[in-house]
This record gives sequence, C-alpha cells and structure tokens, in this order.
Amino acid sequence: MTEANITIEDIPVTAGDLHAKLVKFQGQLDESNVDEKAKSIYQLIEQFPANLYLLFDFEELEYMNSKSIGYLTDWYGKISEGNGKIVIAKTRSNILDILQVVGLTQLINCYATLDEAKFALLQQGGEA
Amino acid sequence: MPENIDLSGIQQMAVQNTAVNSQNTAVVKPMKITITLPTNAYFVSGIRDFTLGLIRNMTEFSEQWAFRFQSVVDELCNNAIEHGSSPGEEIKITFINNPHESIEIIVQDSGTGKSKISATELDRLVKERTNPSYVHTGIRGRGLSKIVFEWTDALEFMDLPEGGLQVRIKKFLKDPQLEIEMSKVLESPAHLVLQ
Repeated sequence: MTEANITIEDIPVTAGDLHAKLVKFQGQLDESNVDEKAKSIYQLIEQFPANLYLLFDFEELEYMNSKSIGYLTDWYGKISEGNGKIVIAKTRSNILDILQVVGLTQLINCYATLDEAKFALLQQGGEA
Repeated sequence: MPENIDLSGIQQMAVQNTAVNSQNTAVVKPMKITITLPTNAYFVSGIRDFTLGLIRNMTEFSEQWAFRFQSVVDELCNNAIEHGSSPGEEIKITFINNPHESIEIIVQDSGTGKSKISATELDRLVKERTNPSYVHTGIRGRGLSKIVFEWTDALEFMDLPEGGLQVRIKKFLKDPQLEIEMSKVLESPAHLVLQ
C-alpha cells in the first residue's frame, strides 16, 4: 500500500454550533489506500453532520487519483448539505492542475496560505 | 517503488535508439519500453514514478506534462486492473516516445475482469461522459473522461484477439490543430483571420 496520512486538528472558533477542523494530507492518495483513508473524513461528517467547516492542508499531498477526487466531491456534497464548508490550502501545482481539469476548483476554493484559507473558511462561517 | 521496475535502463535504451542512416547522419528512432505488471494496485505507484522519470528525462515534454502523464498512466492502469483483469493476471504498459513529435502509451488488460467492457461500450461511455451536459455524481468515472480525455490528443479503444482490451493514447509535443492553422496562414498570408 502506498503511504498516505490524514491528520485532523481542531481550529478554535467562538461560535458554539460551528465545528472547524484542519485536515492535513500527506503522501500519495491512490487506488491502493484511498478507500481506507477516506473513512476518517466520513467519520468526521458522521460525528458533525451540520456546520462542519474543513480546511484541507494539501502542502504535503504529493499525488491524488480520480477516485480521491471523487471522494472530495462526495465530502463537499455531504458537508454542504449540512451547511458546512470545505476550503483547500497550499496545494502543489500538480495537484492544483488535476483539481482544475476535473472542475473541482469551481466548487471548492483553493488558497495559497493557511491563513488565507482559514480567513475565507471562517468568514463564510460567520466568524470573521 | 516495487523492486521489479528498474529505471536505470532508460538512458541506455535511448543510446541504443540512435541509429545512422545512409547519409551518415544520426537518426533517433522511436523508443519503446514495455512493462508487465501483476494486477495489484500496489505496483501502480512504481509505474507512476517510472512515468515521471521517463517523461522528464527522455522526452521534450515539460514538468507539468510529466505529472499529467503520471496521472494518465495511473488511471489507465487502475482501470485495466479493476475492470479488465482478474487477480493473479497481468497488465501490459507500453511507452513509445517519438522524438520531437509525440508520446504514445498503450495499456492492455487480460480481459478476465469481472466488469469487463468492450471497446465499443467504453467508447460510448467516454462520449457520454465527455458531453458538456454530463454531470459526474459518483465517486468513480472521472479518470478516463476527465483526466485521460482532457490531457491527450488521441484516445482509442481496441478489443484484443486474445480477449483483452487495449487503450492507446497519444499526445503530440505541439498541438496538431495549431500546426494546421499555422500552415493555413502561411499558405495564404493575405487572408489572415484572427479569431
């Protein structure tokens, strides 16, 4: 199995009903590991079905295949249904290229820095 | 990277592909490399690394295209493993570099997969999914119709006599449409139309 890791940290927020998380992706998401790795995000969605705000840090994500993008689209749909949001930060050029070709950048905004992404996420969430 | 993929031979193969014609000038022939892989997704990461190295070192395609071909090859191999071949079988990947012109990549499955599909059916599926009005809703289905289709100039499917399916892609170094348009301009310089 190709190496990939997903770690989740809380982002402190003042609004009580809002759940904001920093989700760091590392390694290569491919056919050999993505089904297993995607479970942690589904668990998060299950735990917080409403007002879930996720900041995906892609700085150390080296590769993602079409199935990973399919999962990303599915998470976006589920989180949006619960009035939540996803933003992406620090994407490598090859990852941004693939997100653009499948049209995902039209759904999910990508930011150059974590601060910009956090600001956009929490502004959308009514925090800023 | 899986142990059975050796990148060290690429440079040597390029040297072997330089021949001398009757005018004593060096002619670079197409370089062809074929790799056989077991039908296990674990080995595909090795092919991704191989593709990246091959495009970077042996072709004139840019770094951006090296990563794009990495994705194209990954998607084709995953489809061949998941749909076209049963466990314990093999898939075959062939790279043909036509120097200064194009690269071709051919992926063949064994035709023993549970969800085997014919070339005609796959062609119809891709046409349907590349229609601008088509909306991708599931987890799967973006590999061929978005990534492979968008990043190649030719995408062909062929049923193999032995029962498998062959997918062949070709990408030109220069946009062939642009070449045609440019030649039209040169043929008729007084009728240059800017669109």
